[in-house]
Amino acid sequence: MRKLVDAIKNLFIGLITTAKHLPRKEVTIQYPDERWTMPERSRGIVILLSDKETGELNCTTCLLCERACPSAAIKIVYEKDDKKKRHLKDFIVDNTLCCFCGLCEEACNFAAIKMTGKYEFATWDKTDLIWHTDKLQEMGRDVPYEPKKKREPKPAAKPAEAKSEATAEKPAEPKIETEAPKPQEEIKPKEKQNETRTEQEDNNNAEGDK
Amino acid sequence: MTEGLRTEEFQVNMGPHHPSTHGVCRFILTMDGEVIVRAEPVIGYLHRSLEKICENRTYAQCIPVMDRFEYCTSMSCNEVFSLAVEKMAGIEVPEYAEYLRVIMLELNRIASHMIWYGTTALDLGAITPFLYSFREREDILDMFEMTCGQRLTYNYIRIGGVSRDIPPEFIPKCKEFLATVDHKIDDYERMLTENPIFMVRNKDVGNLSPELAIAYGVSGPSLRASGVKYDLRRDDPYSIYDRFKFDIPICHNGDCYDRYVIRIKEMRESAKIVRQAIEQIVDVEPNTGKMVKANFKPAKGEVYSRIENSRGEMGVYVQSTGDTKKPLRVKMRGGSFNQLQVMPELVKGVKIADVVAIMASLDIILPEVDR
Amino acid sequence: MELIGIFEYLYEQLVATGIPQVWVDLISLVVSAVIIFGILALIALFLVWWERKLSADFQQRMGPMLTGWHGLLQTIADAIKLIQKEDITPTKVDRPVFYWAPIICFVAAFAVYVTVPFGKGLIVSDLNIGILYIVAITTFTIISLLMAGWGSNNKYALLGGMRSAAQVVSYEVPMIVAILSVVLFAGSLSMVDIVESQALIYQWYIFRMPFGPIAFVIYIIAATAETNRTPFDLPEAEQELVAGFNIEYSGMKFAMFFLAEFINMFTVSAIGATLFLGGWQGPFLPSWAWFLIKTFGLVFVFMWFRWTYPRLRVDQLMEFSWKFLLPLAFANLILAGWMKYSGWFNW
Repeated sequence: MRKLVDAIKNLFIGLITTAKHLPRKEVTIQYPDERWTMPERSRGIVILLSDKETGELNCTTCLLCERACPSAAIKIVYEKDDKKKRHLKDFIVDNTLCCFCGLCEEACNFAAIKMTGKYEFATWDKTDLIWHTDKLQEMGRDVPYEPKKKREPKPAAKPAEAKSEATAEKPAEPKIETEAPKPQEEIKPKEKQNETRTEQEDNNNAEGDK
Repeated sequence: MTEGLRTEEFQVNMGPHHPSTHGVCRFILTMDGEVIVRAEPVIGYLHRSLEKICENRTYAQCIPVMDRFEYCTSMSCNEVFSLAVEKMAGIEVPEYAEYLRVIMLELNRIASHMIWYGTTALDLGAITPFLYSFREREDILDMFEMTCGQRLTYNYIRIGGVSRDIPPEFIPKCKEFLATVDHKIDDYERMLTENPIFMVRNKDVGNLSPELAIAYGVSGPSLRASGVKYDLRRDDPYSIYDRFKFDIPICHNGDCYDRYVIRIKEMRESAKIVRQAIEQIVDVEPNTGKMVKANFKPAKGEVYSRIENSRGEMGVYVQSTGDTKKPLRVKMRGGSFNQLQVMPELVKGVKIADVVAIMASLDIILPEVDR
Repeated sequence: MELIGIFEYLYEQLVATGIPQVWVDLISLVVSAVIIFGILALIALFLVWWERKLSADFQQRMGPMLTGWHGLLQTIADAIKLIQKEDITPTKVDRPVFYWAPIICFVAAFAVYVTVPFGKGLIVSDLNIGILYIVAITTFTIISLLMAGWGSNNKYALLGGMRSAAQVVSYEVPMIVAILSVVLFAGSLSMVDIVESQALIYQWYIFRMPFGPIAFVIYIIAATAETNRTPFDLPEAEQELVAGFNIEYSGMKFAMFFLAEFINMFTVSAIGATLFLGGWQGPFLPSWAWFLIKTFGLVFVFMWFRWTYPRLRVDQLMEFSWKFLLPLAFANLILAGWMKYSGWFNW
């Protein structure tokens, strides 16, 4: 008998618990109309960052992210000039392979690749998920980012290089080399870069600038 | 009277696509009416070859792979692999990073038990508790997301430390969560614990004797529900668990109801641990540790590390040759596998509805079984 | 103005045209059938929406929001979708059985409403065996579920069908016994007579101490089982039998089962309101409004159960019915009989 009373009491406790939730406010949101604000650290889709002023990619084709990627989602197509310096031809991110681990972002020393809070990239066709440089750059245009806290010690030298000439590079180059704690492959291209010329330098400078 | 009556047994394929097999497990049930005569689990539908994949990745790259090992508690997977490699390479983890690890591990344990609570209720036909527990789980996932950027596959605990410090808003949010979590668990209990329907469905169903549990290597809450007080956090302390005061809840019947009670209590205990950790962490100098780089090569050796996961003992065996950046062999051990092995013993002679209840109470998750 | 006035006026106009009485009766029957069908279809659509909204509220969700005001047209959209769907008949099903099961279920669900009084005078036909007729017709539902389970040639469906047959048969008995105690007091099987015997609020059978509340509780429990709703939703038991008896059904056939389920829920609530809560009786509001209020109140209780409780196991279900509910119902019937003939509480 006691058991019966207990049972009935507890059945009512259950009913009351659900009834208490009846007037409470919803915890869900109506997705396409309302959205979360993603935390700043969210690891959504991968994008390429470009310099705010010049609009050039920060990427120096150092291939670190490609090596860091555990699922081989990043493929960098480049072309070596006669000085063995790499020129970025195509930066390919296969979003069907990407596992959103964030290792590429961590590997990057130039604030060139980032995972953003963006998460909507559904398509009708799987092949549309393979993104090339232009798309990645486009997606990254509006992404705010902290320029990489460069381990390069001289902030003085950089402004000089910054937006302008190739002349300033010579002093800059050895520093970059020493500072970068990266595998050897990466340092090499840098040296060459500095020795050579053109837009590549601009890119470098831009990074330094940041 | 029923003896003279011969009924025809028939086979039912429960799964691989079935609402309550927690992934893609298949049971071949030989049934006599509603009663199970034999049950044979068929596994492997979720096999992703994680162990082999790890052998082709550098140590740093293994961590995201480990995330997928048991995705309800990715933090534990990160931790167990990191522990193994740290042990092998003799890496010291800073105290602050250890505290962060414990906070994350215990929050993840709560989140995992919330999944278990929801799915258990769902498997028994009550839909609303599922939504309630997932509501609170979202809070935990929000905290994880603000810390490491992901809600499920965290890649947070790394070899040598943690990937980054917690953001400043983490501690207030965590305190707020801890202040309410006990009331929320009270709510869960009001929905099920004393509910007579829930009790008749679970009491004396799927009794697992301690001998059988040990024979099959069942671990974690399912083992403690059978009366064996064995918890790696206490018996083989890793990280800094020896600094916290917490109880190890224990029951003695080993039926589904006890397994339920144990897990509910564990949620409260985990909250207790997080509370202590949050209090203590303010005195520790922030240092998230130095993560190993891609070219990290541990010395030749082999090591097995194990931790107490929400689903039992989770272990990883790592072998290194010392001359490559990749592990020679990675072997994972998940608690669910052993719990699935014991299922055929438990489901003999019960009704088909009890199969679901037993499976839910053992908290089996198939990615951990199949890897 | 009472709705019945309109119907009487139309009926008189029909008679005044001078066509033979047979035709008048036929036309009025067809018209009332169409009206009933329309109302019930609307109610079923509403109930589906309401269940979804209510479950969302219990779970702090929103439920359907986009189709119409707060998703009010969602069920219509779903129905249109289901009609468009291909009607799949699996190869190895028992075709006639498979085909007729949803139809029987659907028709039986509607046929009950011949004797349900929606309001004062708002009844298709006041049969003098009204409640007996209702009990008989609702039993058709089992046949259809059994047919669906057997005809689907699927083991889950078979288990679901068998469960539903066993369950409905065992819960029918306590339910009828509970109803009998009301019939005993009303002294009539006619629904109208039963309602009229509870003109004042203290005459409602639920308030006739002590047998009334017990009979009401037994009725509610048995009705939950009868309509296969949680905690007695074993025939469908998604987590065990995937979808139970309707696992192989798709498109409109599935929709028929689905709508019939909701109409059945409305039916048992309507009967509960009629037998225990005074039916259309009530002050101020028109009689049909009182009927609907009471019925929807009971429907709410059924939904509340569903979004709160877990499910029983099949043997526990049987045990509960035969070992607890049935003895209680019989004891209650004896109590009611004794009360009736000793003259106590015989207001």
